[in-house]
Order: sequence, then structure tokens, then C-alpha cells
Amino acid sequence: DSGSGVKKRKSRWADDESTPLVQLPDFIKDITGGIGFDPEVQALNSRLLEISRMLQSPMALDDRPEGARSPSPEPIYDNNGVRINTREYRARERLNKERQEIISQIIKKNPAFKPPADYRPPRLQK
Amino acid sequence: QKLMLQGGSATKVMCLTHALSVDDLKDDEEYEDIMEDMRQEGGKHGALVNVVIPRPNPNGEPSPGVGKVFLEYSDIEGARKAQTAMNGRKFGGNQVVAVFYPENKFAQGEYEG
Repeated sequence: DSGSGVKKRKSRWADDESTPLVQLPDFIKDITGGIGFDPEVQALNSRLLEISRMLQSPMALDDRPEGARSPSPEPIYDNNGVRINTREYRARERLNKERQEIISQIIKKNPAFKPPADYRPPRLQK
Repeated sequence: QKLMLQGGSATKVMCLTHALSVDDLKDDEEYEDIMEDMRQEGGKHGALVNVVIPRPNPNGEPSPGVGKVFLEYSDIEGARKAQTAMNGRKFGGNQVVAVFYPENKFAQGEYEG
């Protein structure tokens, strides 16, 4: 046993180093249109993942304490008297909107991108 | 004849996302562990100059860049190797995304975006 006294700790990095994204040869890059290699698309993709994760996690979307938040808008109720514009609801709306916009941008850069099933293309403005 | 794997955007600063959750960063001991893991792993690919892991504000206010890990290398080559090697690897079960980060923003302590 070497180095007694030194706390032996397992790194959180996974052991296998053989799983990183494969670097494709140039001719394949041409076929795929360089998908995944365009840093802009990469950034959009990573933000998209981030948003998806936030939307799926049960944690509060805005954890600022009561005093630090900006004032709430007037409540809006549905036909059953249930308030619909709660903080949670508004935060989700905001993330969903950003998500749709990011998907639109990715499609613009990479027409081969397959959007998630719940993606609705934005309506074209007149 | 430069090898450009990531377009022209390679910098000396590499940013890891999706590796950490906010909770990971709240505990001091855990934070030190994570810092050590990052130093060790990052040092395998090149000469590390600086490692920055933003922490959440204790008062609960949002603070920029929480959840990201910034690895600054002495040269672009090191950062490039690290980016290639670390992108897609798993850290604590999370699949890590590694991208280059603008040097000027990093130098100014801007960690958002």
C-alpha cells in the first residue's frame, strides 16, 4: 500500500476512455454536412439539452428567495377558477419558447436535424 | 496546414457543461473533490494554467456559470486535445459536453453564455 495517510479517492471520471465522440474522417463529414462539428450548432445543442433537463427535473425553476424576485403579474384564472399563470407555469412557458426557438435555429443550420415530436414550427409571419 | 477539428474557434479555454448539478457544488468537501478530479483529468491532456468552477451564491441569488467547469491551458493545443478527449465522457454518470470558450470573456471573469 503506497502513500498511507493520503486519502485514496476514486475519480468521478468514468474509466472507459473509449467512448468519446468519434472523429469522423473528412469524406464522411462532407456527407453529414459537418453535423456536430459546427461549434454554433454544438452550442445550440448543448443549450437544448440543458433546457430539456431543466424542464424534466422536478426542482423549482426559479429558486430565488421571496424578497429577491420581481413582482408577480396579476393572476389569470381559467374557467374552473384555477390560477394558470403561476411562477412555475411562466418559467416553463419561457423555457419552452426558448426551446422551440433553438430547434428552429438548428433546423436552419442543419436541415437533416430531426426535431423532437412535440416541436411545432413557428408560423410564418406575413 | 493547421489541423482544424473544431472550425476556427479553438481557444486556450475549454468549458465543460452537463457535468455538474448545483447541488454538487454546495458542499465544500464535494466541491474540493470535483476540483481535484478536474485538475487531474484536465492535466492529462496539456499544461493547465487555471481551473475555474463557479459556485452558487449562498444567499440563493443566481450566479453566472454555475454548473460549468473552465479549464485554461497554456496553449491551444492542450485545450484542443482536452476538448477531443473529454467531450462525451462521463463524469459522475453525466455525459459531459466540452466546448471552447472565448478567452477574452474568461479573462474578464464572464462565465455566462
